[in-house]
Amino acid sequence: MSLFQAQGLVKRFGGLVATDNVSIAVEPGEIHALIGPNGAGKSTLVNLISGLLPLDAGRLELDGVELTALPPHQRVRAGLSRCFQVTSVFRGDSVRSNLLLAAQAHAGSSFRFLSRRAGEQALMETALGLAEKVGLSDVLDRTAGTLPHGVQRKLDVALALAARPKLLLLDEPMAGMGPEDSLQMVALIEKLRAEAAILLIEHDMDAVFQLADRISVLVYGKVLTSGDAEHVKGHPEVQAVYLGTEATA
Amino acid sequence: MNASASLPASAPAARRGGGFGAVLPWLLLALLAAFPLIAPHFELEYYVGFVRRLLIVMIAATSLNFILGYGGMVALGHAGFLGVGAYTVVALVDAGFSSAWLAWGAALVVTAAFATLIGAVSLRTRGVYFIMITLAFAQMLYYLGVSLRTYGGDDGYGIYTPLSLGGWLDAQPNAFYWAVLALAALIFALGSRLAVSRFGLALMGIRDNETRMAALGFPVFRLRLVAFAGAGAVAGLAGALLASHNGFVSPSMMHWTESAILIVMVVIGGMGNRWGGVIGVGLWLTLEEVLKMYTEYWHWPLGLLLIAIVFFAPRGLAALFGSKGERA
Repeated sequence: MSLFQAQGLVKRFGGLVATDNVSIAVEPGEIHALIGPNGAGKSTLVNLISGLLPLDAGRLELDGVELTALPPHQRVRAGLSRCFQVTSVFRGDSVRSNLLLAAQAHAGSSFRFLSRRAGEQALMETALGLAEKVGLSDVLDRTAGTLPHGVQRKLDVALALAARPKLLLLDEPMAGMGPEDSLQMVALIEKLRAEAAILLIEHDMDAVFQLADRISVLVYGKVLTSGDAEHVKGHPEVQAVYLGTEATA
Repeated sequence: MNASASLPASAPAARRGGGFGAVLPWLLLALLAAFPLIAPHFELEYYVGFVRRLLIVMIAATSLNFILGYGGMVALGHAGFLGVGAYTVVALVDAGFSSAWLAWGAALVVTAAFATLIGAVSLRTRGVYFIMITLAFAQMLYYLGVSLRTYGGDDGYGIYTPLSLGGWLDAQPNAFYWAVLALAALIFALGSRLAVSRFGLALMGIRDNETRMAALGFPVFRLRLVAFAGAGAVAGLAGALLASHNGFVSPSMMHWTESAILIVMVVIGGMGNRWGGVIGVGLWLTLEEVLKMYTEYWHWPLGLLLIAIVFFAPRGLAALFGSKGERA
């Protein structure tokens, strides 16, 4: 059985069907990429899965746990963690504080009122471990908002990793990156494969073909086709609606 | 209320611990504790009562600062909670109870209940809607007070026999002052500690980036609700103390302008700074007191002050004193 299953997801905005009966599954250890032209409904789908948008229909299941009715924070607890297309970190805080906050979310209650968090050694170790994992150890004391874009993206990923997720949702992790940063991010995602299954939403075709075990193509809110890189590259409709437009652009 | 309001600090709780900043609260506490004893020598007895009122309002402002500054919740109904606390005292006095501790404790509990209910509804909204709904609830409390004929309605209710602090304390003329000071110090210390606790840091995270906090797995709604209820309860305590201080309670203390002035005082002092409430209230009420001696148009200079602060010290006066943000 799949690690993660979304079945028959539907989302309407007024008359527009942004997500039209989408079913998608992720196997353990798999990187499943989701591609599609602008406006295909990729971000909507991510928000539906992570719970930031309510579903009109459909169901979600992760590792045998039904997620459909859970609010976002409980989905995270169930093992589904996400990154944001637009980098979402605590810009005014140091990298260390960012990581500490993420670590705090998954180690005990946040309803502790009287003891200083600064004294919690275990949290600090978790934070340092996360920094190490994504390569932020050198910038721990920098204010997050002042870091270069590529580094902030890494921090965004690190925040998501703090949950020790079973499934990681990466919403266009390469968005706005130069080629060098992209390479680093590809290497990082490849490394993360060992820790969590990944649903990767991405525009960067090179990255997708390099990383993904399976690719699904989303067009006008529907899954057009699903398969490995060769299958998708060879699919005539995909070439027409997606790769084709890229080639002529 | 953006994140840049409190830039630095990562592991600096230790670094910031030493020096003048650490001594200052104790110095101030000692000075305030000694004040009623010194005052008669300088014919300043009148100001003992004034300082007592300052301390009470500081408790209210500090509780508001917690949800406003640290929590990013612009609640325009805080005076409503002061009213609930004050009317709890009135209800108990009217029923024949006279223990101050019982009355204040009851005010804390009753207001916590009110704040939980009001918060559970209000916190489902954001931004302007949150401001409006907290205002609406406070106005409902205001009109509830007006309609309470048993407690004097519009005319208010006089508490003619001072509440009893118990035993030998009642013979000591300054006991109430010291009780207020002790509570104010306790609330200040509690606020300072909360700011570096898991709870406080999570609350600030929600203020800065709510979506990310939810995506990190934080129970955002519950965290905000607990903060809101706690701050409401402390405001209720301040209201109860104010009832004892004035010996009189009327619905006017719940009027929305009272809530607005509390916000103004916190903004002047410094939102999200532990000194915000103390400085804001101290400055505002002192200036009011002084200006009233010279002119009946004392609102003018205070208004100008507010404008100046918003332009030249948008993070409040506390920020000017070099006390950096409260992040740890």
